[in-house]
Amino acid sequence: MAERLANRLKDRRTELGLTQAELADRVGVTRKTVNTVENGVFTPSATLAIKLAGALDLSVEQLFWIES
Amino acid sequence: MSDQSTAERAEYLSRRRARMLPVLAVIFLSQQATFFSTLNSPAPHSAYAVKISAWLVLSIVLLAALSTKGFWLQPKEVRDLIDDENTRANRNEGMRWGFLFSMAAAIGVYALTLFDTTVTARDAVHIVMTIGLAAALIRWGILERRAHKDG
Repeated sequence: MAERLANRLKDRRTELGLTQAELADRVGVTRKTVNTVENGVFTPSATLAIKLAGALDLSVEQLFWIES
Repeated sequence: MSDQSTAERAEYLSRRRARMLPVLAVIFLSQQATFFSTLNSPAPHSAYAVKISAWLVLSIVLLAALSTKGFWLQPKEVRDLIDDENTRANRNEGMRWGFLFSMAAAIGVYALTLFDTTVTARDAVHIVMTIGLAAALIRWGILERRAHKDG
């Protein structure tokens, strides 16, 4: 069965009142990269996942999980 | 240049690149179609040399754009931001497609010679490079456009 990396990036970002561009600025990527991670189109590296989790005050496990 | 303007500039250039990549590929392919359709026409050697040189220069520029961060005249911070993780992944996927299409083209050209068709080494290289570069540009452009779509 295929597995995918799910996330609650959009929910958490909205909770904190951040735009995609603002979050992108915090982690040093473009808005496009945040957009693709949010939509599940792009699986981020461990480095980017840790940066995103840090910027959103969550642990990586709270932000990302594997869905079957 | 402030951080905000760097991000805005990178976003603008990234969107422009996403729009331009498929267009560049189509222009590149159209040029080659013209080149091969006039290949056997009686033209002076100098005209042929100019055509070959133009193709070679354009190929090198496109190959450099594919294999580097591109936007060579932009400040380093803008270039670094444009070439972020998702862009590198998309570009690598484009390069993978370029390689596969090049190999398929090479097999096609090789198979052609089985049917008593003469293909010079120069024409074979021209065909393989053109198809590989165009496939990489188109695939990269499609992925970049998809990535820019708001979710």
